[in-house]
Amino acid sequence: MEFFKDPKINFVGKMKIAFSLSATLVIVSAVLMLIHGGPRLGIDFTGGSVLQVKIDPAPQVQDIRSALEGRGYEGVQVTDFGSADEFLITFPLSGVDTETGDDAQHLLNDLREGLPGATIELRREESVGPKIGGELRTAAGNSIVAALGLIVLYITFRFVFRYGIAAIMALVHDVTLTLGVFSLLNFEISLSIIAAFLTIIGYSLNDTIVVFDRIRENMKLRRKESYRNVINRSINECLSRTLLTSLTTFFVAATLYVMGGPVIHDFAFALTFGVLVGTYSSIFIASPILVWWNERQKVDKKRRALDM
Amino acid sequence: MNRSLQIRAGLTVVILLLSLWGLLPTFKALSISSAEREAAKTDHVLAAKIADIDAKAIRRGLDLKGGMYLVLEVDQEGMNPSEAEDALARTKEIIYNRIDKFGVSEPEVTTFGSSRIVVKLPGLQDPERAKNLLGKTAKLEFRMVRPATEVQAALEKLDQIFLGDAPVETAVEDTVGSTATEADTAEPEGTEVAAADTAANPFGELDDAFADETDLQPTNAEFLKTHPFSGLLVVQSGARPATPLFVPEENVARVQAMLDDERTAARLRGSEFQMDMEPINFGQGQMLRPLYLVESKAILSGDQLTDATSSSNPERPGQWQVNFSLNSRGARQFAKVTGENVGRFLAISLDGRISSAPVIQGKIPSGSGSISGSFTNAEASDLALLLRAGALPTDVYIAEERTVGPSLGADSIHKGVSAALYGSLMVIVFMLLYYRKSGVITVIALISNIIILMAVLAQFDLVLTLPGIAGIILTVGMAVDANVLINERIREELRKEKTIRASVQSGYANATRTIVDANVTTLIAGVILLWFGTGPIKGFAVTLSIGILTSMFTALVMTRVLMEWTTRNQGRQKLSI
Repeated sequence: MEFFKDPKINFVGKMKIAFSLSATLVIVSAVLMLIHGGPRLGIDFTGGSVLQVKIDPAPQVQDIRSALEGRGYEGVQVTDFGSADEFLITFPLSGVDTETGDDAQHLLNDLREGLPGATIELRREESVGPKIGGELRTAAGNSIVAALGLIVLYITFRFVFRYGIAAIMALVHDVTLTLGVFSLLNFEISLSIIAAFLTIIGYSLNDTIVVFDRIRENMKLRRKESYRNVINRSINECLSRTLLTSLTTFFVAATLYVMGGPVIHDFAFALTFGVLVGTYSSIFIASPILVWWNERQKVDKKRRALDM
Repeated sequence: MNRSLQIRAGLTVVILLLSLWGLLPTFKALSISSAEREAAKTDHVLAAKIADIDAKAIRRGLDLKGGMYLVLEVDQEGMNPSEAEDALARTKEIIYNRIDKFGVSEPEVTTFGSSRIVVKLPGLQDPERAKNLLGKTAKLEFRMVRPATEVQAALEKLDQIFLGDAPVETAVEDTVGSTATEADTAEPEGTEVAAADTAANPFGELDDAFADETDLQPTNAEFLKTHPFSGLLVVQSGARPATPLFVPEENVARVQAMLDDERTAARLRGSEFQMDMEPINFGQGQMLRPLYLVESKAILSGDQLTDATSSSNPERPGQWQVNFSLNSRGARQFAKVTGENVGRFLAISLDGRISSAPVIQGKIPSGSGSISGSFTNAEASDLALLLRAGALPTDVYIAEERTVGPSLGADSIHKGVSAALYGSLMVIVFMLLYYRKSGVITVIALISNIIILMAVLAQFDLVLTLPGIAGIILTVGMAVDANVLINERIREELRKEKTIRASVQSGYANATRTIVDANVTTLIAGVILLWFGTGPIKGFAVTLSIGILTSMFTALVMTRVLMEWTTRNQGRQKLSI
């Protein structure tokens, strides 16, 4: 079986359309984030508590809200989680319990009082104090910056600096779009979502590097072809592989999304979306940026020498 | 077969066999039935055998097994570096002691940084109780209650301190159910309250049956303005012999804040106010907590304890108490103090809250006593445990907590494993369809990759978590990439009319560079995650990073051996790829 036998699609020619589409999407994502006041950070970063409870007999979300009403909690969110009898209760730690400081426990006790006759099983609890939340926020930011920095360094070392910048632009594009979708769907950014982002970065880069590698090879082999043609040819030569790998990775990420359970639902969603965007960007963004850059500077010959 | 191929083939087989051998305990652990595990609870020989197998099997993280992950922040305020270090070390030791006595299998207690302790309790059944045990300071102290004649002066001092502070918000006044105007008129003599020394046992709690009469007064906002401290209190003589002062439950937080104010200690010098552990129900929704004026200096503290046990309270059926005995030094001191202070009240204070304040009937030479309160059986035995393990040298706060109940852990494993199986199955079918016979080699590489990856986890005692399973699944998807790169290259070379052997050779040669470059960048992301990773991220980073390395091995070494070997005699026939 073979998807493409020697494809000759003019990807670079569609550069302008792709760039405007991506620019629009990036702007839309940024606007979406602005409207929502930045990406919605989860309790991992803001501090707070999440309780996953299983309640028998299953109440309505409204029942849980009213059971907790008037007991001094602020900003309590109650949502369905996975099945009809499971709920996620999220709230910021505000020192309701002055004696032990254990607000989550306090809330659980209040809930038991407020829903008499119901069996409440605590399935999961995550509480993060404001201090650790701040530290995790810094660490997450640092890790993304460090990853991007090291990657530019590695690509500069293996290729040239310009390739590194092109790759990073594609990555920023991927992560921004994913953040945009998260804002649109009002998903929270938690620690595991940061892990998903870093994986998207790694994955999208993987795709990009494979094409770059082919460009470098073809630059040497086809000295007579134009810069633009070499790059388009390289994208085409890698097309089978790009789509094949994307497809298998998409399969597994989607399986995880469908079957992995609610706990890793958002994480799997980020991965699945990231695979799609990452594939698109390595074909339509990363390599065409090289062409655009080259044509703007009109120093074809010199560049080509550098690219080898 | 050439020599290099033989060596590589040998290496591959050895690694695969080693991996299978390393996974043997994991398979064994999986095959232990729950009935056998149940039996092991009573059979020590079987339990030891199972524990041995479990120890060598892949360790499951708390999110798969159920359990609790806690980060405790040790309060080191006002300590110099060596004191702070010492406080951290001692806190860790005492916490370990408590967990040990609580009976959790394979607990982990480690220090993290200069002020934190990380506690991992796998397979915990009752997280609420465990948390209670870990966070409590458990500082037991015996303090003399100051004579009632001093109460009035102390209240006035506190009122003066807080008079200058920002006026109380009206909202608070509204919530004050009843504020006694009598506080300022409370005659010290009047509070003496009948030396109700009816109890025969010197430590028996005095009668709690309160008089029906309640001299609670309605709210007086004006009074609160001029008496910011005593205005929050209620005077009620007769309910507790040791003190006439009570704090309405809704004012507890505000009163505690004032008592914790550093000016309070400076001003009261030598004595301090402490509230009771629990409020008394006066009926009609009135919950009042006794407030005692006690000496700042404790006459004895919990470190003089030799033992603590719980038993049911002989005087109050259904309630439990904690009995303690003091060491000889403590007992001597206790005898001396009680002998000198007959007729006065002695407060037993736990973490700054009074559990009881009985009157001293006479010298107590035995060095043993009891702490009563409305404890349940479990609460009393936990308190006894805390007293035996010792008090923490300083306060600790829960800075981070992640708890997963055992049922959710089982669900997560089930879902994670089935997602992994179906995901892999899809990839396998797809590879076979797309690459035919060469696809078989790819599939062998994929399966070997998972086996080697799992073996590395088991061998290096790494922990498998739910994000870790996600990492493995992702590795499956990405491991295919290396094989796809190779196979596509070989196809290209074949198109150039090269022989099969030459195509295979140059296909691998060309693909290797690409594979290394592409994987190194993903590895960079993985290593950053490892470095940054706490809890959930670390598990993912571990399997992802190892998966990248093992997939490079299976793609570049293992499939090449298989490819070269299966095509060794093929000339220009067609390669199924």
